[in-house]
Amino acid sequence: MFKKVLIANRGEIAVRVIRTLREMGIGSVAVYSEADRSSLHVRLADESVCIGPAMARESYLSIPAIISAAKVTGADAVHPGYGFLSENAEFSAACRDNGITFIGPSPESIQMLGHKAEARKMAVKAGVPVTPGTKDCVKKDFKKEAEKVGFPLMIKAAAGGGGKGIRIVREASQLEKEMTMASSEAKAAFGNGDVYFERYIELPRHIEVQFARDSHGNVIAFPERDCSIQRRHQKLVEETPSPAVSKKLRESLEKAAVQLAEAADYVGVGTVEFLLTQNGEFYFMEVNTRLQVEHPVTEYITGFDLVKEQLLAASGEKLTHTGSHSVPYRGHSIEHRINAEDFSRNFAPSVGRVEEWMVPGGNGIRVDTHVYAGYNLPVYYDSMLAKLVIWAPTRAEAVERSRRALAEFKVRGVKTTIDAHQLIIQDADFKAGKTDTGFMERLLAPAEPVKA
Amino acid sequence: MDVKTLTKLTKWMETTDLEEITWRNGEDKISLKLNNNPEQSAAIASSMEPVLSPTIGIFRFARPGKTNHLKEGSSVKNGQELGVVEVGKDFKAVTAPSNGLLKIISIEDGKPVEYGQPLFFVEPR
Repeated sequence: MFKKVLIANRGEIAVRVIRTLREMGIGSVAVYSEADRSSLHVRLADESVCIGPAMARESYLSIPAIISAAKVTGADAVHPGYGFLSENAEFSAACRDNGITFIGPSPESIQMLGHKAEARKMAVKAGVPVTPGTKDCVKKDFKKEAEKVGFPLMIKAAAGGGGKGIRIVREASQLEKEMTMASSEAKAAFGNGDVYFERYIELPRHIEVQFARDSHGNVIAFPERDCSIQRRHQKLVEETPSPAVSKKLRESLEKAAVQLAEAADYVGVGTVEFLLTQNGEFYFMEVNTRLQVEHPVTEYITGFDLVKEQLLAASGEKLTHTGSHSVPYRGHSIEHRINAEDFSRNFAPSVGRVEEWMVPGGNGIRVDTHVYAGYNLPVYYDSMLAKLVIWAPTRAEAVERSRRALAEFKVRGVKTTIDAHQLIIQDADFKAGKTDTGFMERLLAPAEPVKA
Repeated sequence: MDVKTLTKLTKWMETTDLEEITWRNGEDKISLKLNNNPEQSAAIASSMEPVLSPTIGIFRFARPGKTNHLKEGSSVKNGQELGVVEVGKDFKAVTAPSNGLLKIISIEDGKPVEYGQPLFFVEPR
Protein backbone atom coordinates (compact mmCIF):
# COMPACT_ATOMS: atom_id res chain seq x y z
CA MET A 1 0.00 0.00 0.00
CA PHE A 2 1.03 3.60 -0.57
CA LYS A 3 2.80 5.61 2.14
CA LYS A 4 1.78 9.07 1.01
CA VAL A 5 -0.90 10.16 -1.45
CA LEU A 6 -1.24 13.57 -3.06
CA ILE A 7 -4.77 14.70 -3.82
CA ALA A 8 -4.80 16.63 -7.10
CA ASN A 9 -8.10 18.31 -6.37
CA ARG A 10 -9.91 20.70 -4.05
CA GLY A 11 -13.25 21.08 -2.31
CA GLU A 12 -15.32 18.35 -0.74
CA ILE A 13 -13.76 15.52 -2.77
CA ALA A 14 -10.26 16.37 -1.50
CA VAL A 15 -11.64 16.32 2.06
CA ARG A 16 -13.39 13.02 1.38
CA VAL A 17 -10.22 11.36 0.05
CA ILE A 18 -8.10 12.66 2.95
CA ARG A 19 -10.54 11.03 5.41
CA THR A 20 -10.08 7.56 3.93
CA LEU A 21 -6.31 8.03 3.73
CA ARG A 22 -6.24 8.90 7.41
CA GLU A 23 -8.33 5.85 8.34
CA MET A 24 -5.93 3.66 6.37
CA GLY A 25 -2.86 5.24 7.98
CA ILE A 26 -1.66 6.76 4.70
CA GLY A 27 -0.10 10.24 4.64
CA SER A 28 -1.95 12.94 2.72
CA VAL A 29 -0.73 15.91 0.71
CA ALA A 30 -3.15 18.68 -0.25
CA VAL A 31 -2.37 20.94 -3.18
CA TYR A 32 -4.03 24.31 -3.42
CA SER A 33 -4.23 27.43 -5.52
CA GLU A 34 -3.76 30.88 -4.04
CA ALA A 35 -7.55 31.26 -3.83
CA ASP A 36 -7.88 28.11 -1.71
CA ARG A 37 -5.33 28.90 0.99
CA SER A 38 -8.05 28.77 3.65
CA SER A 39 -10.00 25.82 2.24
CA LEU A 40 -10.76 22.87 4.50
CA HIS A 41 -8.73 20.30 2.55
CA VAL A 42 -5.60 22.35 3.21
CA ARG A 43 -6.31 22.31 6.94
CA LEU A 44 -7.09 18.60 7.11
CA ALA A 45 -4.19 17.18 5.12
CA ASP A 46 -0.92 16.13 6.76
CA GLU A 47 0.99 18.38 4.35
CA SER A 48 -0.06 21.04 1.91
CA VAL A 49 1.62 22.86 -0.90
CA CYS A 50 0.66 25.87 -3.01
CA ILE A 51 0.83 24.95 -6.68
CA GLY A 52 -0.21 28.12 -8.46
CA PRO A 53 -2.53 31.09 -8.89
CA ALA A 54 -6.33 30.97 -8.67
CA MET A 55 -6.91 30.17 -12.33
CA ALA A 56 -7.35 26.38 -12.52
CA ARG A 57 -5.40 26.24 -15.78
CA GLU A 58 -2.27 27.29 -13.91
CA SER A 59 -2.89 25.29 -10.73
CA TYR A 60 -5.31 22.33 -10.53
CA LEU A 61 -5.03 21.73 -14.27
CA SER A 62 -1.27 22.20 -14.49
CA ILE A 63 0.31 18.78 -14.96
CA PRO A 64 3.93 19.97 -14.39
CA ALA A 65 2.94 21.79 -11.17
CA ILE A 66 1.16 18.75 -9.74
CA ILE A 67 3.88 16.27 -10.73
CA SER A 68 6.41 18.64 -9.21
CA ALA A 69 4.35 18.86 -6.00
CA ALA A 70 4.26 15.06 -5.77
CA LYS A 71 8.03 14.85 -6.23
CA VAL A 72 8.80 17.65 -3.77
CA THR A 73 6.63 16.06 -1.07
CA GLY A 74 7.69 12.50 -1.85
CA ALA A 75 4.16 11.26 -2.57
CA ASP A 76 4.11 7.81 -4.16
CA ALA A 77 0.60 8.13 -5.62
CA VAL A 78 -1.82 10.78 -6.85
CA HIS A 79 -5.58 10.71 -6.36
CA PRO A 80 -7.23 12.91 -9.00
CA GLY A 81 -10.73 13.18 -7.48
CA TYR A 82 -13.35 14.11 -10.08
CA GLY A 83 -13.24 16.91 -12.64
CA PHE A 84 -9.91 18.69 -13.27
CA LEU A 85 -7.32 16.09 -14.40
CA SER A 86 -9.25 12.99 -13.31
CA GLU A 87 -10.01 11.81 -16.84
CA ASN A 88 -6.92 13.18 -18.50
CA ALA A 89 -4.89 10.42 -20.17
CA GLU A 90 -1.89 12.73 -20.49
CA PHE A 91 -1.85 13.24 -16.71
CA SER A 92 -2.17 9.52 -16.03
CA ALA A 93 0.79 8.98 -18.39
CA ALA A 94 2.82 11.80 -16.79
CA CYS A 95 2.38 10.17 -13.37
CA ARG A 96 3.52 6.82 -14.73
CA ASP A 97 6.56 8.38 -16.47
CA ASN A 98 7.59 9.99 -13.19
CA GLY A 99 7.26 6.83 -11.13
CA ILE A 100 4.11 8.00 -9.36
CA THR A 101 1.01 5.80 -9.27
CA PHE A 102 -2.08 7.41 -10.75
CA ILE A 103 -5.08 6.27 -8.70
CA GLY A 104 -7.31 5.57 -11.64
CA PRO A 105 -7.20 3.65 -14.88
CA SER A 106 -4.24 3.51 -17.27
CA PRO A 107 -3.84 6.24 -19.91
CA GLU A 108 -4.92 3.66 -22.49
CA SER A 109 -8.18 2.90 -20.66
CA ILE A 110 -8.94 6.59 -20.18
CA GLN A 111 -8.29 7.28 -23.84
CA MET A 112 -10.39 4.38 -25.02
CA LEU A 113 -13.36 4.90 -22.71
CA GLY A 114 -13.16 8.70 -22.54
CA HIS A 115 -13.54 9.06 -26.29
CA LYS A 116 -17.27 8.47 -26.63
CA ALA A 117 -17.24 6.90 -30.07
CA GLU A 118 -14.43 4.53 -29.02
CA ALA A 119 -16.34 3.66 -25.84
CA ARG A 120 -19.41 2.86 -27.92
CA LYS A 121 -17.41 0.45 -30.04
CA MET A 122 -16.10 -1.17 -26.87
CA ALA A 123 -19.69 -1.53 -25.57
CA VAL A 124 -20.79 -3.19 -28.80
CA LYS A 125 -17.83 -5.56 -28.55
CA ALA A 126 -18.71 -6.38 -24.95
CA GLY A 127 -22.30 -7.17 -25.91
CA VAL A 128 -23.79 -4.17 -24.16
CA PRO A 129 -26.81 -2.60 -25.90
CA VAL A 130 -26.18 0.85 -27.39
CA THR A 131 -28.63 3.48 -28.63
CA PRO A 132 -29.20 3.40 -32.36
CA GLY A 133 -26.64 5.74 -33.86
CA THR A 134 -23.58 6.11 -36.05
CA LYS A 135 -20.77 3.65 -35.41
CA ASP A 136 -18.09 6.29 -35.92
CA CYS A 137 -17.70 10.03 -36.03
CA VAL A 138 -19.70 11.43 -38.90
CA LYS A 139 -17.98 12.81 -42.00
CA LYS A 140 -19.22 14.57 -45.11
CA ASP A 141 -22.12 12.17 -45.74
CA PHE A 142 -23.71 13.13 -42.42
CA LYS A 143 -27.14 13.69 -44.02
CA LYS A 144 -27.39 10.08 -45.12
CA GLU A 145 -26.19 8.93 -41.69
CA ALA A 146 -28.82 11.08 -39.99
CA GLU A 147 -31.62 9.52 -42.07
CA LYS A 148 -30.45 6.07 -40.99
CA VAL A 149 -30.46 6.99 -37.29
CA GLY A 150 -33.83 8.77 -37.54
CA PHE A 151 -35.16 11.93 -35.90
CA PRO A 152 -35.13 13.27 -33.27
CA LEU A 153 -31.40 12.73 -32.93
CA MET A 154 -28.54 14.07 -30.86
CA ILE A 155 -25.27 15.45 -32.16
CA LYS A 156 -22.62 14.62 -29.58
CA ALA A 157 -19.03 15.78 -29.33
CA ALA A 158 -16.67 12.80 -29.36
CA ALA A 159 -14.47 14.42 -26.72
CA GLY A 160 -17.35 15.90 -24.69
CA GLY A 161 -18.70 15.09 -21.26
CA GLY A 162 -20.71 16.36 -18.33
CA GLY A 163 -23.61 17.24 -20.61
CA LYS A 164 -21.51 19.60 -22.68
CA GLY A 165 -21.35 19.42 -26.45
CA ILE A 166 -24.79 17.93 -27.07
CA ARG A 167 -27.34 19.30 -29.58
CA ILE A 168 -30.77 17.91 -30.27
CA VAL A 169 -32.08 17.98 -33.84
CA ARG A 170 -35.82 17.35 -34.18
CA GLU A 171 -36.15 17.48 -37.97
CA ALA A 172 -33.99 17.05 -41.04
CA SER A 173 -34.29 20.71 -42.08
CA GLN A 174 -32.30 21.85 -39.02
CA LEU A 175 -29.55 19.30 -39.41
CA GLU A 176 -27.05 21.27 -41.48
CA LYS A 177 -27.17 24.37 -39.26
CA GLU A 178 -26.94 22.40 -36.00
CA MET A 179 -24.16 20.27 -37.41
CA THR A 180 -22.00 23.32 -38.16
CA MET A 181 -22.61 24.77 -34.72
CA ALA A 182 -22.00 21.50 -32.88
CA SER A 183 -18.74 20.93 -34.68
CA SER A 184 -17.34 24.41 -34.09
CA GLU A 185 -18.50 24.32 -30.45
CA ALA A 186 -16.79 21.00 -29.91
CA LYS A 187 -13.64 22.34 -31.52
CA ALA A 188 -13.64 25.39 -29.25
CA ALA A 189 -14.51 23.53 -26.04
CA PHE A 190 -12.56 20.30 -26.40
CA GLY A 191 -10.02 21.03 -29.14
CA ASN A 192 -11.58 18.26 -31.21
CA GLY A 193 -14.40 18.92 -33.68
CA ASP A 194 -15.40 15.25 -34.12
CA VAL A 195 -19.09 14.57 -33.57
CA TYR A 196 -21.39 11.57 -33.90
CA PHE A 197 -25.15 10.94 -33.99
CA GLU A 198 -27.35 9.10 -31.59
CA ARG A 199 -31.11 8.58 -31.52
CA TYR A 200 -32.69 10.96 -29.04
CA ILE A 201 -34.78 9.06 -26.53
CA GLU A 202 -37.69 11.08 -25.15
CA LEU A 203 -37.83 11.35 -21.36
CA PRO A 204 -35.46 8.57 -20.43
CA ARG A 205 -34.16 7.83 -16.98
CA HIS A 206 -30.47 8.29 -16.34
CA ILE A 207 -29.28 5.08 -14.71
CA GLU A 208 -25.67 4.28 -13.95
CA VAL A 209 -23.76 1.35 -12.56
CA GLN A 210 -20.70 1.78 -10.39
CA PHE A 211 -18.10 -0.90 -10.84
CA ALA A 212 -14.69 -1.70 -9.39
CA ARG A 213 -12.08 -4.02 -10.83
CA ASP A 214 -8.63 -4.99 -9.57
CA SER A 215 -5.59 -6.22 -11.48
CA HIS A 216 -6.36 -9.80 -10.38
CA GLY A 217 -9.57 -9.74 -12.41
CA ASN A 218 -12.02 -9.36 -9.52
CA VAL A 219 -14.99 -7.22 -10.55
CA ILE A 220 -17.84 -5.83 -8.49
CA ALA A 221 -20.87 -4.11 -10.00
CA PHE A 222 -22.85 -2.16 -7.43
CA PRO A 223 -26.63 -1.60 -7.44
CA GLU A 224 -27.66 1.08 -9.94
CA ARG A 225 -27.92 4.77 -9.21
CA ASP A 226 -30.79 6.82 -10.62
CA CYS A 227 -29.62 10.31 -11.60
CA SER A 228 -32.66 11.41 -13.58
CA ILE A 229 -33.16 14.66 -11.66
CA GLN A 230 -31.03 16.99 -13.74
CA ARG A 231 -31.15 20.56 -14.81
CA ARG A 232 -29.40 21.37 -18.08
CA HIS A 233 -27.63 18.01 -17.91
CA GLN A 234 -26.27 18.79 -14.43
CA LYS A 235 -27.31 16.28 -11.80
CA LEU A 236 -29.12 17.63 -8.74
CA VAL A 237 -30.46 14.54 -6.94
CA GLU A 238 -29.17 10.99 -7.17
CA GLU A 239 -30.57 7.92 -5.50
CA THR A 240 -29.97 4.21 -5.19
CA PRO A 241 -31.54 1.80 -5.85
CA SER A 242 -33.67 3.21 -8.65
CA PRO A 243 -37.42 3.02 -8.07
CA ALA A 244 -37.76 1.99 -11.72
CA VAL A 245 -35.40 -0.98 -11.67
CA SER A 246 -36.57 -4.50 -10.87
CA LYS A 247 -34.32 -7.24 -9.51
CA LYS A 248 -34.15 -8.80 -12.97
CA LEU A 249 -33.26 -5.52 -14.67
CA ARG A 250 -30.65 -4.84 -11.98
CA GLU A 251 -28.99 -8.15 -12.78
CA SER A 252 -28.87 -7.25 -16.48
CA LEU A 253 -27.44 -3.80 -15.77
CA GLU A 254 -24.77 -5.18 -13.44
CA LYS A 255 -23.89 -7.89 -15.94
CA ALA A 256 -23.43 -5.27 -18.66
CA ALA A 257 -21.10 -3.23 -16.44
CA VAL A 258 -19.01 -6.30 -15.58
CA GLN A 259 -18.72 -7.27 -19.25
CA LEU A 260 -17.59 -3.79 -20.17
CA ALA A 261 -15.03 -3.58 -17.37
CA GLU A 262 -13.60 -6.93 -18.41
CA ALA A 263 -13.58 -6.12 -22.12
CA ALA A 264 -11.66 -2.90 -21.43
CA ASP A 265 -9.29 -4.66 -18.97
CA TYR A 266 -10.12 -1.81 -16.63
CA VAL A 267 -8.37 -1.42 -13.27
CA GLY A 268 -9.92 0.95 -10.73
CA VAL A 269 -13.42 2.23 -10.12
CA GLY A 270 -15.60 3.52 -12.89
CA THR A 271 -19.20 4.11 -13.82
CA VAL A 272 -21.21 3.03 -16.84
CA GLU A 273 -24.04 5.38 -17.67
CA PHE A 274 -27.18 4.05 -19.31
CA LEU A 275 -30.40 5.52 -20.62
CA LEU A 276 -33.42 3.61 -19.42
CA THR A 277 -36.49 4.01 -21.62
CA GLN A 278 -40.04 4.16 -20.28
CA ASN A 279 -40.45 0.56 -21.53
CA GLY A 280 -37.56 -0.72 -19.43
CA GLU A 281 -34.97 -1.06 -22.22
CA PHE A 282 -31.52 0.23 -21.44
CA TYR A 283 -28.81 1.60 -23.69
CA PHE A 284 -25.15 2.29 -23.05
CA MET A 285 -24.36 5.99 -22.91
CA GLU A 286 -20.80 6.47 -21.67
CA VAL A 287 -18.18 5.42 -19.13
CA ASN A 288 -16.79 7.75 -16.48
CA THR A 289 -13.26 6.64 -15.67
CA ARG A 290 -13.17 8.28 -12.25
CA LEU A 291 -14.83 8.38 -8.87
CA GLN A 292 -18.14 10.17 -9.26
CA VAL A 293 -19.70 12.97 -7.24
CA GLU A 294 -22.61 10.73 -6.29
CA HIS A 295 -20.54 7.76 -5.08
CA PRO A 296 -21.63 8.18 -1.40
CA VAL A 297 -25.15 6.83 -2.06
CA THR A 298 -23.59 3.56 -3.17
CA GLU A 299 -21.36 3.54 -0.10
CA TYR A 300 -24.38 4.12 2.13
CA ILE A 301 -26.44 1.15 0.99
CA THR A 302 -23.55 -1.31 0.53
CA GLY A 303 -21.16 -0.31 3.32
CA PHE A 304 -18.20 -0.08 0.93
CA ASP A 305 -15.62 2.71 0.95
CA LEU A 306 -15.07 3.31 -2.75
CA VAL A 307 -11.92 5.39 -2.22
CA LYS A 308 -10.45 2.47 -0.30
CA GLU A 309 -11.31 0.15 -3.22
CA GLN A 310 -9.58 2.63 -5.55
CA LEU A 311 -6.46 2.59 -3.41
CA LEU A 312 -6.45 -1.22 -3.23
CA ALA A 313 -6.88 -1.58 -7.00
CA ALA A 314 -4.23 1.05 -7.78
CA SER A 315 -1.65 -0.52 -5.48
CA GLY A 316 -2.13 -3.93 -7.08
CA GLU A 317 -4.00 -5.47 -4.16
CA LYS A 318 -7.35 -7.24 -4.23
CA LEU A 319 -10.70 -5.54 -3.72
CA THR A 320 -12.26 -6.12 -0.30
CA HIS A 321 -14.98 -8.26 -1.89
CA THR A 322 -14.04 -11.11 -4.21
CA GLY A 323 -15.74 -14.22 -5.47
CA SER A 324 -18.93 -12.69 -6.86
CA HIS A 325 -19.81 -9.75 -9.08
CA SER A 326 -22.68 -8.39 -7.05
CA VAL A 327 -22.90 -7.30 -3.44
CA PRO A 328 -25.82 -7.18 -1.01
CA TYR A 329 -27.33 -3.82 -0.14
CA ARG A 330 -29.68 -2.51 2.46
CA GLY A 331 -32.19 0.35 2.41
CA HIS A 332 -32.31 3.42 0.20
CA SER A 333 -30.02 6.41 -0.20
CA ILE A 334 -30.59 9.87 -1.71
CA GLU A 335 -27.99 12.56 -2.41
CA HIS A 336 -28.79 16.26 -2.68
CA ARG A 337 -26.18 18.49 -4.30
CA ILE A 338 -26.19 21.77 -2.42
CA ASN A 339 -24.81 24.42 -4.76
CA ALA A 340 -24.14 28.11 -4.27
CA GLU A 341 -26.79 29.11 -6.75
CA ASP A 342 -29.80 31.35 -6.48
CA PHE A 343 -32.78 29.16 -7.23
CA SER A 344 -35.11 32.17 -7.43
CA ARG A 345 -32.90 33.80 -10.08
CA ASN A 346 -32.69 30.90 -12.51
CA PHE A 347 -29.82 29.23 -10.60
CA ALA A 348 -27.44 32.19 -11.02
CA PRO A 349 -24.13 31.56 -9.24
CA SER A 350 -23.85 33.13 -5.81
CA VAL A 351 -20.53 34.13 -4.25
CA GLY A 352 -19.38 35.71 -1.03
CA ARG A 353 -18.64 34.83 2.55
CA VAL A 354 -20.55 32.01 4.21
CA GLU A 355 -21.76 33.78 7.36
CA GLU A 356 -23.71 30.91 8.86
CA TRP A 357 -23.25 27.22 8.14
CA MET A 358 -25.29 24.77 10.15
CA VAL A 359 -25.41 21.28 8.71
CA PRO A 360 -28.05 18.68 9.53
CA GLY A 361 -27.16 15.58 11.50
CA GLY A 362 -28.63 12.58 13.22
CA ASN A 363 -29.40 9.07 12.11
CA GLY A 364 -28.84 8.28 8.44
CA ILE A 365 -27.31 11.61 7.45
CA ARG A 366 -23.91 12.23 5.91
CA VAL A 367 -22.68 15.65 4.80
CA ASP A 368 -19.58 15.82 2.59
CA THR A 369 -18.33 19.39 2.41
CA HIS A 370 -15.31 21.67 2.50
CA VAL A 371 -17.31 24.66 3.72
CA TYR A 372 -17.37 26.14 7.22
CA ALA A 373 -18.76 29.32 8.79
CA GLY A 374 -16.54 32.22 7.70
CA TYR A 375 -15.45 30.50 4.48
CA ASN A 376 -14.92 32.81 1.53
CA LEU A 377 -16.31 31.19 -1.55
CA PRO A 378 -13.81 31.63 -4.42
CA VAL A 379 -15.33 32.59 -7.76
CA TYR A 380 -12.97 30.47 -9.81
CA TYR A 381 -14.35 26.98 -9.33
CA ASP A 382 -17.60 25.01 -9.44
CA SER A 383 -20.45 26.05 -7.21
CA MET A 384 -20.91 22.91 -5.14
CA LEU A 385 -20.91 23.60 -1.40
CA ALA A 386 -21.92 20.24 0.00
CA LYS A 387 -23.45 16.87 -0.68
CA LEU A 388 -26.25 15.98 1.68
CA VAL A 389 -26.57 12.20 1.67
CA ILE A 390 -29.50 10.42 3.29
CA TRP A 391 -29.98 6.78 4.22
CA ALA A 392 -33.17 5.11 5.45
CA PRO A 393 -34.55 1.56 5.39
CA THR A 394 -37.08 2.42 2.63
CA ARG A 395 -37.38 5.07 -0.08
CA ALA A 396 -40.44 6.64 1.56
CA GLU A 397 -38.57 7.01 4.83
CA ALA A 398 -35.53 8.38 3.02
CA VAL A 399 -37.69 11.10 1.42
CA GLU A 400 -39.08 12.03 4.85
CA ARG A 401 -35.56 12.13 6.25
CA SER A 402 -34.48 14.37 3.35
CA ARG A 403 -37.30 16.74 4.20
CA ARG A 404 -36.20 16.88 7.83
CA ALA A 405 -32.51 17.32 6.95
CA LEU A 406 -33.11 20.06 4.36
CA ALA A 407 -35.15 21.99 6.92
CA GLU A 408 -32.24 21.75 9.40
CA PHE A 409 -29.68 22.95 6.86
CA LYS A 410 -29.10 26.68 7.55
CA VAL A 411 -26.87 28.78 5.33
CA ARG A 412 -26.53 32.54 5.39
CA GLY A 413 -24.27 34.75 3.27
CA VAL A 414 -24.69 32.91 0.00
CA LYS A 415 -27.77 31.64 -1.80
CA THR A 416 -28.06 27.87 -2.10
CA THR A 417 -30.12 25.25 -3.90
CA ILE A 418 -31.62 23.98 -0.62
CA ASP A 419 -34.95 25.56 -1.65
CA ALA A 420 -34.90 23.72 -4.95
CA HIS A 421 -34.34 20.40 -3.18
CA GLN A 422 -37.24 21.08 -0.85
CA LEU A 423 -39.44 21.65 -3.87
CA ILE A 424 -38.22 18.42 -5.48
CA ILE A 425 -38.91 16.16 -2.52
CA GLN A 426 -42.38 17.61 -1.96
CA ASP A 427 -43.37 16.84 -5.53
CA ALA A 428 -45.95 14.05 -5.87
CA ASP A 429 -44.17 12.48 -8.87
CA PHE A 430 -40.87 12.41 -7.01
CA LYS A 431 -42.51 10.83 -3.98
CA ALA A 432 -44.01 8.20 -6.26
CA GLY A 433 -40.63 7.56 -7.87
CA LYS A 434 -41.92 8.72 -11.25
CA THR A 435 -38.93 10.71 -12.47
CA ASP A 436 -37.16 11.12 -15.78
CA THR A 437 -34.68 13.61 -17.21
CA GLY A 438 -37.54 16.03 -17.99
CA PHE A 439 -38.56 16.21 -14.32
CA MET A 440 -36.84 19.50 -13.45
CA GLU A 441 -38.12 21.28 -16.52
CA ARG A 442 -41.69 20.34 -15.61
CA LEU A 443 -41.15 21.20 -11.93
CA LEU A 444 -39.75 24.64 -12.69
CA ALA A 445 -42.09 25.50 -15.56
CA PRO A 446 -44.86 27.14 -13.48
CA ALA A 447 -42.28 29.09 -11.47
CA GLU A 448 -40.82 30.82 -14.52
CA PRO A 449 -41.89 34.47 -14.61
CA VAL A 450 -44.39 35.38 -17.30
CA LYS A 451 -42.87 37.60 -19.97
CA ALA A 452 -44.48 41.02 -20.18
CA MET B 1 17.85 39.59 10.16
CA ASP B 2 19.08 36.40 8.56
CA VAL B 3 17.10 34.10 6.32
CA LYS B 4 16.64 31.33 8.84
CA THR B 5 15.14 33.67 11.41
CA LEU B 6 12.87 35.17 8.78
CA THR B 7 11.65 31.77 7.63
CA LYS B 8 11.13 30.65 11.21
CA LEU B 9 9.26 33.83 12.00
CA THR B 10 6.93 33.44 9.02
CA LYS B 11 6.28 29.78 9.83
CA TRP B 12 5.63 30.66 13.46
CA MET B 13 3.25 33.45 12.49
CA GLU B 14 1.19 31.02 10.47
CA THR B 15 0.56 28.99 13.62
CA THR B 16 -0.73 32.02 15.56
CA ASP B 17 -3.61 34.45 15.19
CA LEU B 18 -1.18 37.25 14.35
CA GLU B 19 -1.73 38.92 11.03
CA GLU B 20 1.05 41.45 11.07
CA ILE B 21 4.37 41.94 12.84
CA THR B 22 7.02 44.70 12.59
CA TRP B 23 10.69 44.30 13.47
CA ARG B 24 13.07 47.26 13.82
CA ASN B 25 16.80 47.40 14.31
CA GLY B 26 18.38 50.78 13.74
CA GLU B 27 17.59 51.77 10.17
CA ASP B 28 16.42 48.33 9.09
CA LYS B 29 12.76 47.58 9.34
CA ILE B 30 10.77 44.56 8.31
CA SER B 31 7.00 44.24 8.44
CA LEU B 32 5.54 40.83 7.87
CA LYS B 33 1.90 40.51 6.98
CA LEU B 34 0.24 37.16 6.50
CA ASN B 35 -1.93 36.74 3.47
CA ASN B 36 -5.10 35.33 5.02
CA ASN B 37 -7.34 36.90 2.47
CA PRO B 38 -7.12 34.99 -0.79
CA GLU B 39 -8.36 38.02 -2.72
CA GLN B 40 -5.18 39.91 -1.86
CA SER B 41 -2.15 38.44 -3.47
CA ALA B 42 0.74 40.31 -1.82
CA ALA B 43 2.17 37.91 0.73
CA ILE B 44 4.37 40.37 2.58
CA ALA B 45 4.32 44.13 3.01
CA SER B 46 7.67 45.76 3.60
CA SER B 47 9.94 48.54 2.40
CA MET B 48 11.75 45.76 0.60
CA GLU B 49 10.25 44.11 -2.42
CA PRO B 50 9.83 40.36 -2.19
CA VAL B 51 10.71 38.23 -5.21
CA LEU B 52 8.19 35.42 -5.30
CA SER B 53 8.54 32.00 -6.83
CA PRO B 54 6.72 31.90 -10.19
CA THR B 55 5.89 28.22 -9.78
CA ILE B 56 6.20 25.19 -7.56
CA GLY B 57 9.42 23.28 -8.19
CA ILE B 58 13.10 23.09 -7.29
CA PHE B 59 15.04 26.34 -6.97
CA ARG B 60 18.45 26.74 -8.65
CA PHE B 61 20.65 29.80 -8.55
CA ALA B 62 21.72 29.11 -12.11
CA ARG B 63 20.68 27.11 -15.15
CA PRO B 64 22.54 23.81 -15.72
CA GLY B 65 26.21 24.43 -16.58
CA LYS B 66 26.06 28.08 -15.51
CA THR B 67 27.13 29.76 -12.29
CA ASN B 68 25.73 32.68 -10.41
CA HIS B 69 27.60 34.70 -7.81
CA LEU B 70 24.74 36.43 -6.04
CA LYS B 71 25.46 37.61 -2.51
CA GLU B 72 23.40 39.50 -0.02
CA GLY B 73 24.32 43.13 -0.61
CA SER B 74 24.93 42.71 -4.35
CA SER B 75 23.32 45.28 -6.54
CA VAL B 76 20.79 43.96 -9.04
CA LYS B 77 19.19 45.36 -12.17
CA ASN B 78 15.53 45.29 -13.08
CA GLY B 79 14.85 42.06 -14.99
CA GLN B 80 18.13 40.44 -14.01
CA GLU B 81 17.84 36.67 -13.58
CA LEU B 82 18.38 35.78 -9.92
CA GLY B 83 17.74 32.09 -10.38
CA VAL B 84 15.38 29.56 -11.90
CA VAL B 85 12.71 27.20 -10.65
CA GLU B 86 12.80 23.79 -12.21
CA VAL B 87 9.34 22.39 -12.88
CA GLY B 88 9.20 19.26 -15.00
CA LYS B 89 11.56 19.89 -17.91
CA ASP B 90 11.05 23.64 -17.71
CA PHE B 91 13.11 26.31 -16.01
CA LYS B 92 11.08 29.34 -14.99
CA ALA B 93 13.15 32.49 -14.52
CA VAL B 94 13.15 34.36 -11.24
CA THR B 95 13.95 38.00 -12.04
CA ALA B 96 14.65 41.13 -10.04
CA PRO B 97 11.55 43.36 -9.91
CA SER B 98 13.57 46.62 -9.90
CA ASN B 99 17.05 48.11 -9.68
CA GLY B 100 18.34 47.91 -6.15
CA LEU B 101 20.22 46.03 -3.51
CA LEU B 102 19.71 42.36 -2.89
CA LYS B 103 19.10 42.50 0.87
CA ILE B 104 18.00 38.97 1.68
CA ILE B 105 18.40 35.61 0.00
CA SER B 106 15.76 33.41 1.62
CA ILE B 107 16.37 30.28 -0.41
CA GLU B 108 19.11 27.70 -0.85
CA ASP B 109 20.12 26.00 -4.06
CA GLY B 110 18.23 22.76 -4.80
CA LYS B 111 15.46 23.43 -2.29
CA PRO B 112 11.81 22.82 -3.15
CA VAL B 113 9.70 25.96 -3.36
CA GLU B 114 5.97 26.58 -3.51
CA TYR B 115 4.18 28.90 -5.87
CA GLY B 116 4.32 32.42 -4.41
CA GLN B 117 7.06 31.65 -1.88
CA PRO B 118 9.39 34.65 -1.24
CA LEU B 119 12.87 33.77 -2.54
CA PHE B 120 14.64 37.14 -2.32
CA PHE B 121 14.07 40.59 -0.89
CA VAL B 122 15.28 43.55 -2.91
CA GLU B 123 15.53 47.10 -1.65
CA PRO B 124 14.72 49.30 -4.63
CA ARG B 125 17.03 52.25 -5.37
